[in-house]
Amino acid sequence: MRSIVALAGKDIRLLQRDRVGFFFVFFFPLIYSIFFGAIFSGAGEGGMGAVKIALVDEDESGASREFGRLLEESTAFNVTRSGRAEATDMVRRGDQSAYVILPKGFQESVDRIFQAESIRIAVGVDPGRKAESAMIQGLLTQYAFRTLQDTLTDRLSMRRQAQSAREMIEADDEIDAVTKTLLVRFMKEIDFLMAGLPESGGAQSAESGGDLAGFGDWSPVDIDVESVLKERIQPRSSYEITMPQAFVWLLLGCSAAFGVSLVMERTRGTLIRLKSAPITLAHILAGKALACFLTTLGGLAILFAIFRLGFSVRPDSYPLLLLALISAAVAFVGIMMLISVMGKTEASVGGIGWAFLLLMAMTGGGMIPLMFMPDWMETVSHFSFVKWSVLAVEGAVWRGFSLAEMLLPCGILLGIGLISFLVGVRVFKATAD
Amino acid sequence: MLKLNGIYKAFGSTKAVDGLTLEIHEGEVFGLLGPNGAGKTTTVNIAMGLLAPDEGTVEIGDGRSPLDAACRALIGVAPQALALYEELTGRENLTFFGRLQGLGGRDLKSRVGSALDFVDLEERAGDLVKKYSGGMKRRLNLACGLIHDPPLILLDEPTAGVDPQSRNALYDNIKALRAEGRTIIYTTHYMEEAQKLCDRVGIIDLGRLMALDSVEGLINSHGGASVLVVDCGDEEERIETDDPVADLTRLESAGRLKSFRLDRPDLEQVFLNLTGRKLRD
Repeated sequence: MRSIVALAGKDIRLLQRDRVGFFFVFFFPLIYSIFFGAIFSGAGEGGMGAVKIALVDEDESGASREFGRLLEESTAFNVTRSGRAEATDMVRRGDQSAYVILPKGFQESVDRIFQAESIRIAVGVDPGRKAESAMIQGLLTQYAFRTLQDTLTDRLSMRRQAQSAREMIEADDEIDAVTKTLLVRFMKEIDFLMAGLPESGGAQSAESGGDLAGFGDWSPVDIDVESVLKERIQPRSSYEITMPQAFVWLLLGCSAAFGVSLVMERTRGTLIRLKSAPITLAHILAGKALACFLTTLGGLAILFAIFRLGFSVRPDSYPLLLLALISAAVAFVGIMMLISVMGKTEASVGGIGWAFLLLMAMTGGGMIPLMFMPDWMETVSHFSFVKWSVLAVEGAVWRGFSLAEMLLPCGILLGIGLISFLVGVRVFKATAD
Repeated sequence: MLKLNGIYKAFGSTKAVDGLTLEIHEGEVFGLLGPNGAGKTTTVNIAMGLLAPDEGTVEIGDGRSPLDAACRALIGVAPQALALYEELTGRENLTFFGRLQGLGGRDLKSRVGSALDFVDLEERAGDLVKKYSGGMKRRLNLACGLIHDPPLILLDEPTAGVDPQSRNALYDNIKALRAEGRTIIYTTHYMEEAQKLCDRVGIIDLGRLMALDSVEGLINSHGGASVLVVDCGDEEERIETDDPVADLTRLESAGRLKSFRLDRPDLEQVFLNLTGRKLRD
């Protein structure tokens, strides 16, 4: 028994002294739990994933202003008011998840709810956020019901609608005389009933849903989902959405593998022979960076060929896609260099490197869509090269980015690559002796 | 061939090399000996240009510094750690390191062939290095340092952990290199190796040069007296002597001598006399 305790004690002590093992046993699960906990509990100001929408009020009526106010006060939406063109651009660039347009005639559609009219709303959703599309439509329907509830509980509005309906029936020549008399009388009775009701009340809560039974297929809101993308010759494939994710995981793998290989040069002694050759340290590091860059580009080319030939993915612009891929590859080469100095052994660099990369993937939307993240986490995502890599590739493949629009993600990626590489080289040089 | 002038190098508050001055002549095999932590590796790294000294200069050939990358083409290195890519074949390793030295085309192919032949690895040249035995890896490690035909060769414990057969093969390689007129700096913990191979030996400790001479010269100056072990019939007598012939004549004439053995000091005795017997690590 004493020997078993001694063996167990030894292993626990070894674990305590293995910093990488210790990190994965205790700290990494903690990071994971905080990450997913924050997502699922809606932690942080703004709650869970307030969906960013651009609101376009083209009707500028009382009803549209009221509907807009409802959306602005909602914790489910983070509303930015804008014009239609600007809203479309913002969604296409990925700055907003969707735009919501309250078109001209919005007030009229609200007022004519008793003529089986639906409240008309146009929505444009980022195709990369299909899950959000359904959620946004659901939320808009909920707020349309609330508008309907307000209408039903507004005595004057109801009287106005009853009078309007009565006038329509009276003016309709296709209705026979008996039916017309009955319907007109019915509308007069409703008007009379509403006149006798107190200022508010008289209708059940819309939220209970009881007052809407028997409406058949009628819905209080007619949401027209528009495409936010430019016209294309070929139909889109959902693989255009998943391809950038595949690219990112390839980039992550290459970075980690080459980061470890640089440490192996050091730990296995070959770095001494490389340094004793008639070349400089800059040559050695440049060679490693070139190998990582070319492997990454080669891998991306193969992946793209598979998506192109196997899944008919066609980018909007090949030159911009090349720019995006080169920028992403440069960023990940820099990250590779940074990873290589995160530890002194292959095990530590492999472990810490992957932990770092997974963290970037998590915060950059590589694992969980950004929409599900709290606002503060979305802000953090700006520091993730994964986010910018995905955006750059999407921009060239289906977001229809112009060259000017590509400059932001590509510039950030190149900057990250350059800074990471320089920091990595500096640390490598300082520790190479 | 190699001059170290007043080299000083410290890591933090630890002096690794403390004012070392040393000249290694062209065509000699120079043994650099010292206990663990004496400053051998730092000295070798400075000589290779891997480290810049805090003070002092290193000159190779006609006064060039190994810190100049081009000058390092004059140096061949066989590090103590096996500096090989295990997932490449022996030939691929040699080809790669040859390219780093600026070789190419037929010249490279010819040099690879010669290097493989020199260390007797032609038959296994196409095998992955990870399938080599320890001795084969040591030989390939040496070959990689020789691929560019350097005039100055640094061998850092080249026989560490190999069997007697491979060790003897490496001795033959080193002797052949000396016969070709190359300058060799040799570090080892095996004193008999240094005694067998080196023309001159420098012993360093605490970063300072304690003694520098031929093996014979070091033994004479630092080895102490020889010990004459005499069998006098009933007991064995040990006599420290500088003149064993005279002592033997005296014992013979006294009728006390039955048999004798003369224990001469060796390099290990010199080493222990100069560096002490206290453990260093």
